[in-house]
Amino acid sequence: MTNNLQIPPGMGLNVTAYINSSNPVYSVGGIIAFAIIVAIIISIFGYVFGWLERKMIAKVQHRHGPTYVGKFGILQNFADLVKLLAKEDIIPDSAERTLYIIGMPLLVSVSIFLVLLLPFAPSLQATNFAFGILIIFVILSFTPILLFITAFSTSNKFADISAQRSVLILLSYELPMILAVAAVGIAAHGYNIASIIDAQSSGIFAIFMPLGLVVLFITMLAELERPPFDLREADSELIAGWLTDMSAPYYALSLFLDYSRMLLGSLLITILFFGGWEGPLLPPIVWLLAKASIISIFIIIIRATTVRMRIDSILKFGWKWLLPLSLINLVIAYIIFA
Amino acid sequence: MAVTRINIGPVHPSTHGVLRLVADIDGDTVVDVQPHIGFLHRGVEKLVETRMFMQNPPYMEKLDYVSPMSYDEAYVAAVEAAMGVEVKERAQYIRVILLELQRIASHLLWIGTMCNDIGQMFTAFMWGFQDRDMVLNLLEEAAGGRMFYVNMRIGGMVRDLPPDFTDHALALMDYMEKRVREYERYLERNPVFMERMKGVGVLSYDDAKNLGVTGPVLRASGVNFDARKNKTYYVYQKLHFSTQVQMAGDNLARYKVRMMEIRESIRLIREGIKALPDGDALGMPVKLILPAAKNRISIVSRELPRGECIMYLVADAQKPYRLSIRSPSFINLAALNFLAKGQRTADMFGIMGTLDLVMGCVDK
Repeated sequence: MTNNLQIPPGMGLNVTAYINSSNPVYSVGGIIAFAIIVAIIISIFGYVFGWLERKMIAKVQHRHGPTYVGKFGILQNFADLVKLLAKEDIIPDSAERTLYIIGMPLLVSVSIFLVLLLPFAPSLQATNFAFGILIIFVILSFTPILLFITAFSTSNKFADISAQRSVLILLSYELPMILAVAAVGIAAHGYNIASIIDAQSSGIFAIFMPLGLVVLFITMLAELERPPFDLREADSELIAGWLTDMSAPYYALSLFLDYSRMLLGSLLITILFFGGWEGPLLPPIVWLLAKASIISIFIIIIRATTVRMRIDSILKFGWKWLLPLSLINLVIAYIIFA
Repeated sequence: MAVTRINIGPVHPSTHGVLRLVADIDGDTVVDVQPHIGFLHRGVEKLVETRMFMQNPPYMEKLDYVSPMSYDEAYVAAVEAAMGVEVKERAQYIRVILLELQRIASHLLWIGTMCNDIGQMFTAFMWGFQDRDMVLNLLEEAAGGRMFYVNMRIGGMVRDLPPDFTDHALALMDYMEKRVREYERYLERNPVFMERMKGVGVLSYDDAKNLGVTGPVLRASGVNFDARKNKTYYVYQKLHFSTQVQMAGDNLARYKVRMMEIRESIRLIREGIKALPDGDALGMPVKLILPAAKNRISIVSRELPRGECIMYLVADAQKPYRLSIRSPSFINLAALNFLAKGQRTADMFGIMGTLDLVMGCVDK
């Protein structure tokens, strides 16, 4: 038994090799190690960007942002988390109890599951499906439905309206988003994530398909429901939208959900258009996370500069601009790569 | 789809205080909206009857906590009219300067809250408050308070302007001119902002007149009426400024009117400081017993940042017998139902934002 657990030659820190190993002990160990590493990445990313968003938005707005708790207020989010978790968990009488309780944890686990499907480096990936990217986008499309159910379970009118909006804007961005991904599929001759990244070793797709990048970035903002598409949480109209009747622990989870989805979105953009972990000198995972962080910063900065779009104008925008643009992009991708 | 009745407020992020709306919403369209007011009712009109004339300005200021000095001045002007007292010339200029500063401060806050209403644009909110703060600093120099000033006395001011006030004011006006340009660049080049403003909540010329709306809301619908010009008072007829009128009547027009009014106020303040005469500006002492009021009824019309305010004062010798205030926010709130019907839910809040409601002013 002890013999079996020794690190075999050539595998070193390569988690992928462990997971794909024929020895079940290595395989399970590799999966657990991968899950722990990804959990740490998500937590750190969520925490840092939760703080960074507050700080950056504050800078734009000529404020200081959090300053008191820890150096530069870095512990402010931790203090908030403790506060939220210490609060009473109130479930409204009129709420659909079971759905209310499982809804938010389910949403969070789905978004974490999607991050787990992504590769972080050649030596750090758990799955390698032939249609990996499609699987991710299909599951991603289910999240608004889950969200709708969760919001509906609170039996709050504001949450109802917000849930309806959430599903409505799904109609406008889902098609252009899939078409933008399809263009990448054409360019990479497949939907395998690793092969998409490999195909960009000679030049990232953002150069060849800038239209596709624009479409994917905008639709990703809509998918993540970040401003200007934050109709779900339209706080000046719907108080807190779908979170109006969510008690504190669920609210904390929803914040975690937002940032884990932001990580997912920026990782997907990085992989599809910025060559994933491709880059000189630094290790692949550093490149991947650095690129994803820059995209996340862009996503955050947009919040400080725009107002919320109206539901009908989002639909119009989706069908009038995003869909034709994504079709043109598809044609361009076909001409260049096929 | 069935009509949903939702209750908005009195505690809600965009009702600016304690306005309660009961809205019937069909899908995303507003079928009907009824404002419910009175959550901030303090009975000021009755309260002033129990106090002597110059004990009342502090109550008046609390009517509109966004531009308190305007109400202060409107009330004192009504008392002056009742007593038949002429305001000293230097005091007239000082009043015009301070009132225009108050107008700038009020409109700056409005930019912020309006941007917040149409969609989470806290950047404009924070910028507006920051710039408003500078104006408030200036008013603090002149009056000693940041929020409530109580700076008017019958026939003049409590105190003259401090010696370096004019320099500070001129410096601030230069800065403010730059900032107004910056706001316009920041907002009007934002396509999402323009989409939310343009053609939304259109109030036609006739409807504006029939509903009796006042102030920037009225002028945005093409009606050329400004109490400063049409029922001129103090030295407004000596100073040069133009009434800002927009023909479109939509949210954007209301925004433009207010932006241009900030510019006109800057112009007025500069001109007022230039023409500021020397002399005495102090008014009568506060513990006023004599002279007794001469006119039984006095009606004074003032252009507040929110619109025309009419003070109807029936005076006893030393006290108001009855004071009736026609407050601009109350009149403008009445237009909400008309404007919001048939609009999208999100636009209802945008329209409410452009009406510039202050609940203290509505409830009285």
